[in-house]
Formats: sequence, structure tokens, C-alpha cells
Amino acid sequence: MGLSTQRPSNKRLFSLISSDKPLSQGSGLSGLRRAGKTVLFRRAAGALALVATILLAVALPLSAQSPDGQLWDRPATSRVQAVAVSGDGMFVAVGSRDNSLRLFDESGKLLWPFEAENSILGVDISPDGKWLAVASEDRFVYLLDGEGNVLWRFKAARPMNNAAVAGDGSLIAATSDDLSVYVLDRERNLLWQKELGIGVRAVDVYGSGEKARVVLGSDDGLITIYNREGRELLRTWLDYSVESVSVTPNGARILAGAGDGSAILLNGANGNHIWSFPAEDTVTSVSLASNRSGALVGALVGALVGSEDGTAYLLDADGSVTHRFRQESEVLSVALSADGSRLAIGTVSGSAGYYDRAAALSGAARSSAQRQRTLFALLGVIALLVLAAVWAARNTAAGQQVWQRSAAGPIGVLQSMWSARLSYLLILPTLALLLTFNYYPAFSGLYHAFTEWSPGVRTEWVGLANFQSLMENRFFLSGFRNAAILVVVSIAKTMTMPLLVAEFIFNLRNRFSQYWFRTLFVVPIVLPAVVEILVWNNIYDPAIGLLNESLKLVGLEQLTRVWYGDARVALGSIIFIGVPWVNAFALLIFYGGLISISNEIIDASLVDGASTWRRFWSIDLPLLMGQVKLLLILNFINAVQTFELVFLTTGGGPGASTYTPALELYYKAMRMDRMGIASAIGMILFFIILAGTVINMRFVSSSTEYEA
Amino acid sequence: MATVRDGQGSEGAAAVAVRGESGATAEQTLFAPGSAFALLRLTGGQFLLYAILLILLIVTFIPIVYLIALSLKDNGQIYGRFWSMPDPYRWENFALGSLAIWRAVLNSILTSGTSTAATVVLASLSGYVFARHRFPGKELIYTGILALLMIPPILTLIPAYVLILNMRLENTYWALILPWTSGGQVFALLLCRSFFATLPEEFFDAARIDGASELQSFAQIAVPLSAPILVTVAVVRLVTTYNQFMWPLVVISSPKKQVVAVALTQFTSEIGVTDLGPQMAGYILASIPLVVLFSFGMRHYVRGLTAGGLKA
Repeated sequence: MGLSTQRPSNKRLFSLISSDKPLSQGSGLSGLRRAGKTVLFRRAAGALALVATILLAVALPLSAQSPDGQLWDRPATSRVQAVAVSGDGMFVAVGSRDNSLRLFDESGKLLWPFEAENSILGVDISPDGKWLAVASEDRFVYLLDGEGNVLWRFKAARPMNNAAVAGDGSLIAATSDDLSVYVLDRERNLLWQKELGIGVRAVDVYGSGEKARVVLGSDDGLITIYNREGRELLRTWLDYSVESVSVTPNGARILAGAGDGSAILLNGANGNHIWSFPAEDTVTSVSLASNRSGALVGALVGALVGSEDGTAYLLDADGSVTHRFRQESEVLSVALSADGSRLAIGTVSGSAGYYDRAAALSGAARSSAQRQRTLFALLGVIALLVLAAVWAARNTAAGQQVWQRSAAGPIGVLQSMWSARLSYLLILPTLALLLTFNYYPAFSGLYHAFTEWSPGVRTEWVGLANFQSLMENRFFLSGFRNAAILVVVSIAKTMTMPLLVAEFIFNLRNRFSQYWFRTLFVVPIVLPAVVEILVWNNIYDPAIGLLNESLKLVGLEQLTRVWYGDARVALGSIIFIGVPWVNAFALLIFYGGLISISNEIIDASLVDGASTWRRFWSIDLPLLMGQVKLLLILNFINAVQTFELVFLTTGGGPGASTYTPALELYYKAMRMDRMGIASAIGMILFFIILAGTVINMRFVSSSTEYEA
Repeated sequence: MATVRDGQGSEGAAAVAVRGESGATAEQTLFAPGSAFALLRLTGGQFLLYAILLILLIVTFIPIVYLIALSLKDNGQIYGRFWSMPDPYRWENFALGSLAIWRAVLNSILTSGTSTAATVVLASLSGYVFARHRFPGKELIYTGILALLMIPPILTLIPAYVLILNMRLENTYWALILPWTSGGQVFALLLCRSFFATLPEEFFDAARIDGASELQSFAQIAVPLSAPILVTVAVVRLVTTYNQFMWPLVVISSPKKQVVAVALTQFTSEIGVTDLGPQMAGYILASIPLVVLFSFGMRHYVRGLTAGGLKA
């Protein structure tokens, strides 16, 4: 009798799919049915058009997105270490590790290349585009004219790491790894040089002719302004090494990028801090733009900050972010045109992108390549849906009925669809939401697992590269091992303690105590899941936690430790959370299963003289198989996706000892912007869960059926 | 043993775990003669059961007691006299804690409540259509929706986040409400359809004869009759969304809009509370909505999860 309890649980999802439930019985309009082969095509076309319309409606909000206003993108063969934009945004110089400096025009056409003898570390271009100063690892600083001809070069003892040129080309400043700065005039006369004795790579020049000034930032956090003769005009200190400086043409504002990830705007007249902007990692490059004409000439209009966190931040004059240009790797160099309307970004992975600020902000521009990719993705999804529909029509009973009936009378189907328009209308909101927020992301995730995905910037098909890189990622592999341990432990926890407690409570003879024990064991469910973890964080606290204090109290001081900080016990500590693991939900499920076992069976076992132990194994457990299966699968699915438990406790550390795949997915996506690899992790977990679910359904249900 | 368990008939087939919660049946015998003295007549085996259960109960409650004790102490008491009881009781910790989290709790209630309400409305409507209407492709569409039960949230997390970014909804309540509404529908539809299918056809025939429109018979017959299942859906969705952590963490960056599950973890970094006492008080206060919800909806919660899981 109690067996009927299991019936619904034995039903598998797949039996639902292939169910032999009778479909709605006819359309009631069978009299109108007509056969005709030609209509078959029309019907297919109509169905296709319908699917396409729905998908387009779904995709419409997507196509309104901005791809950052990208004008063009030049993937280079090696890292782009220097970019510069001329004042009017007409010319873009891109220097990379492959020794080449290339000058592009506004539309991305290559004007000329220039080869140094080693990689290019710094480049600056005068506002009119007539002068270029190039610093190279080959120890030379080059002065080029607008056609790419080398006017002269000057050698230091070590590689030159950055260079700057005045607006009229009358002064060139270059910093070198020999810890010195060299200042030259247009004719290659060394005006002055200074050995700072500390690393220096931040240099910029403002003013022209006799009034040209050099702004220098060094590793000790010192920012100095020198005049043409090398006399110090101003010095000011920052707290961290200065990685990069940029100055407005009138020298009124200086933006410094620091090693701690901040970009600090200084007043060029007195060195006071005006504002500071925090990036998430070292600021590698900064650039300023100011008004070129009008009443407010020289006033700051914007700033661009490139950081190793993989983002170029476009700031307004007050230092608030107006746009984030997310890149697929660390940003090494950024440049703004003088009025801030155009900007260039160079990254480690070797791409140099050129963007239009107005387009980036309005979100109106969209490169044709981007549009094409979206179109392809959309077509792919449509094709998949069509294939799935065809498959369903061929292989499922329900689908076959639809197929046959519509083949017999397509007009009848259209008629009945029309007469059922209210039904479709009522389920439309549900379907629209599900298509947008569930189906589309699922397919998108599966597709993007095979791409290098930087949303809004670029999407590139890379085949299995993401999976290959995961196979070499020690965090992911360690995460996999940990996830396996967590799955096993979580299942063991749920299958033992709650079942045990449920059985104990069930065997109490007193109704009153049964009720109270059950109620009290369930009380902890009112704590949000996060709170339980946070309280346990406190229990494990090395300074004032309950665990260490208790150990001290009983004289086991030698056992106290930093529970989350010790690689040998960190995972164990996480598993120990929630001891004694009497999960309220599992307890209620098991207990509910126990009390629904019919009295006759238990009485019969008593008559037969079965002990409690024997009854547990031969009656209770087999009859609880439905509950076991349910908890097994719920626990498996949750444990594979373990995130909070690790994120809130150890954060994956120490080292990689407590990583889980879901945690690595989160870090890859949110901290490194590697959406493609994150999607690949999601896909792997999806297939693991799918396989686990199928195995659980087949294996456990068949054994139940055997028992029943 | 059998004498104790009488009254638990064999109709248990209908619900799997629900009846475990129906505490009302227990009360019938609570004050039966002799039950007050039951403890005195314990046999050895029963005594052992009591001992083990009591020990487990105590261990289970240690973190909760610890949480309450810390919430009533100030930092001096915690660091100086770790093992002593709070003295004096720092009730102001609760005032401080509530100041820090009231906004997050409101955000949670707002987003959970809205999305739950929307889920219930949409799922009952489409559940009704799937149960009562006949239209071409019905089973195909329904199977397509049920297939979503096989999609784990981890697969859709990143693409859904990008979708939200593209729709420019990041850092808004919509980023929580829309996906939660959508995601909850699958399970809710499953429950609603099977419930509506059990309602006798005669009711609807009678309504139709009396001239009721489809929507009228839905609103005035189906919905009132299905109140229990709708409450079940609501309770499960409220608890689930209130406990959500990863999705709000990803799509909400402003502390002002953050939900309570994430806000609690950012006490020190975002809200600036460094004292332990107010933090712990905040944890307790954050549980209050769940206490309220579970105090009347525990039975619905368990029934919902069980039915959803078993049917899937």
C-alpha cells in the first residue's frame, strides 16, 4: 500500500517527454481538413517565419546594445605596448613587441610601418601628427617625421622605456632603464640629462619652444616638473610608484597612474590632489583631454585610465566613470586625442582598438562585424530550434500526432490554431520570459563556451581552446577534485544523519516528545543559508572564534590553528560546517516517508519477530527509496555547483586547495572578464549534472521497482 | 508501538512528506492520561534514543546560541570575557544592526515579493491554459518548458548576466525580478497544471452554461479552488529568492540596491560595521522574514519542494 507513494517518483522526465498521453483530441474542425502536398511547404515556411519572428522579438533589445563605439580593431601578432593618438584624432601610432611601430589613419588604414631593432616600449605623437618620439628596447629613442622617416636617434646605456615630444617637436624627453631621463632638442642636442637612481618610466611634455616643460614620475612616487634647462619647478609626492603621467597642454592638470591601482589628478600649479580614481589593479597608462577652443579653453574634459585589471576607464572631468572599455587582457597603453573625442587602447593579447567616445557613450555605433556575429548566432539558434522541432515531430509520440494530423489537414491545424488564439495569448507572457531569460542564456552559454567572449567588444570562435586551457588550469583541476569530494560528502551527510534522526524520532514511544524533537530539529531552517556560513566563519575565527577558544579551554592549545588558512585542514573545515548535519529539509522528507508507511506492514514485521534493526533494512529503507532518490539528486545538483560555501569562507585558498569549479567560473567571469572560459566551465558542469541525473534516475528507480 | 501510531492511516499515498508536518494530529494524544508520566516509564532502549537525540539537538543549536550570545555583547565583552554571559546586555546592538541592514531587507522583500507575485500570476494562468485548453502543439510546448528543469543555474549564469548587461538592467531591481519571475515559472507551472487538471470538469461546464467567459471561470472558479497550491508556490519562491546569493552578487553592485543575503557578507567592507555584536544582531534580524514565512508556511514549503522534485 505504501508503495503507491513511490509511483510518481518513478516517473522520469524522459517518460514525460515520450509520454503516451493523448494529445488534445482533434480540432473539432475536421470537416475542413484537406490534403495537399504544396501546402506542406507553406506550412514549414510559416513555422519557420513564426520562430524567426519570436526570436527576433527576443533579440531586438540585444541588438540595441553598444559595442563600445569601436571604430576599428587591429589584432597584432604580439602585445601592444604603446599607443598614441594625434591631437585631432587623425593619426594613431601603435607600437608593439614585434619591433614594429605602425601609423594608422582615422579609418584604420595603415599609412606606414617603422621597424626598430627591438620591441617598442613608448611612443608619443605631436598634436599635429608631424613628430613622433619612439622609445625602444634597442636602447634608442627615435624622432620620426609624419612620413615615418627617421630624423635622428639617440642611444642610452639601457633600453629606453618611454618618450614624449612637445607640440612643436622642439623638445623630446625620454626615460631609460638606466634610471636616467634624457632631454633633447629637435636637432638631437642633449639639453640635459639627469640620473635619478630609481626606476622611471612616466614622462610627458607640455608647452612648446622655450616654454616646454617636462613632467616626470618615478618609482618612489615623486612627480617633478622641469623646465627646458632642467631646473626643477615643482615636486610632489604620491604614496605609490608612478607608472604613467599625462598632462594637459597648458600644464594645469596632471594625471598620474600609480602602482596601487589609483589614478590621481593633480593641480599642475601647486601639486595638490584634486581627485583620485580607484582601478582594480595597477594603472599602466593614463591620458588626459581638454577643451581646445571656446571660452573654457584648456579645461579638462576627460581622462582615460588603462589598468592591468583588463579595463580602460573613461572618466569625466570630476573623475567619475562614464564608460568602461572591457578588454580581453591587461591594458598596457591608452591614448586620447586632444579633445577626447577619439581613444586608442593597446593590450597584452595584442589588440589595438580605436574608439569613438561619443558613439561609445550613446551606444549608437555598432561595427558591422559585430552585427554579423549576432546574426550568425541568431541563425544558429533558429537552426537548432528547427532541428529540435523536427526531431521532436519525428521521435516523440506527441510530436508524431501533431505531424500526422497537420500532414492530413494543415488548414485544419491553422484553423484550430486560430480558434485557440486566446490560449496562445495567455501563455505568451510565460513563453516570452522563458525564451528570454532561460532558453536564450542556455543556448548562448553552450555556444560561447567555444568562443573568446568579451561582450560588447568581440566574440571570436576558438573551437576547443577554452577546454584545453581549462585542462591546464590548476585551479580548475583542483576545483574538480574538491567538487568530487564535496559531492560525496554532501550525499553522505544527507543520507546518514537526517535519516538516523528521523528513524530515532519515529521510534520514540511518546507522541509529545516526537512532536517537539521534530519541531526543534527543524528550527534552524529559519536562518538564511548565508547566515549559517557567516556564523561558522566566526566559530572558526583564529583570534576569537568559538572553536579555538574551546580548544584552549580544555587544554588542547596545540590543536588551535588558522582553520581556513591551513591548506591541510581548510577543506575539512568547510566540510565540518553545520555539524551534526541534521538537515531540516531532509529530516522532514525522511520523517514524512516513515509515517506514511502503513501500519499493517510494520505490525506484520512485529508479528514475524523482526528486530528494529531488521525492520529498518528490510522495510523502512526500501520504502524510503523515493525520498532517497529525491535527496540524492537534489544534493548532487547543489554540490556540483558549490559556490557560497567556498566563496564566503576561504575564497578558494590557501593556494588552490579549496577551489570549486563554480568559484573558478565566478572569478574567470567577474574578475578576469574571460566570459568564454567561464561559459566552458558552465557547460562542463551542465553535462556532469545531466549525466548524474540520468544515472540517478535509471539506477535508483530500477532498484526501487525491484524492491516494490 | 502500533498503539502509538494509530490514526496514521494508509491514505498516506497522497502526500509524501506533508503529513510529517501536520502536527495537529499529534495534539490529540498530547494530554491523554498517562502521557505526562511517559518519561518515567522509559526502557533502556528508549532512554538511549532520548540521550542521542538530546546530544544532537544541543550540538545543532550551538551556533544559534553562540550567534545570540555574541549579538548581545560588545567587542570588549567578546575579547575580554569570552566565556561569560553578556553583561550588561547590549540591546543597542540590534538598533545598530537594523540601521545597517534595514535597506537590504527591504530590497529583498521588494524583489522577492514582486517576482513571486508575478510568478504566481503567470504560472497559474498558463497552468490553467495547459490543463484546460486544447490547442495544437500543447504537449510539445509543455515538454519544452519542462526540459528547462534540466538546465542548472550555473550554465545560464554568465550568459544571463551578459544579457542583463546588454539590456542595461545591471544594478536595477529588474535584474533580479525578471529572471527570478521567469525561472520560478517552470516549477510553478508543473504544480499548477497538475493541480488544475484535478478540478472537476463539471464546475467549468456549469460556469460556461451560466455565460462565464474563460477568464471569468479562471478567476472565479479555478483560482479560489487552487489557493493551497498557489500558496505553496509562493512560499517556495519567497524562500528560494530570499536566500539567493550568487545572482545578486553578480548583477547588483550598488550597496543601496543589494539584497540582504549579499549585504550581510559585506558588512565590514561596504556598510562599515566592524563591531561583532551589531553584525550578529544583523544576522538575526535578517532571519526575521524567514521566521514569519516558515511559521505559517513550513508545511507548504516542504510540500512544494517535495512535489516539484518528485514530479520532475
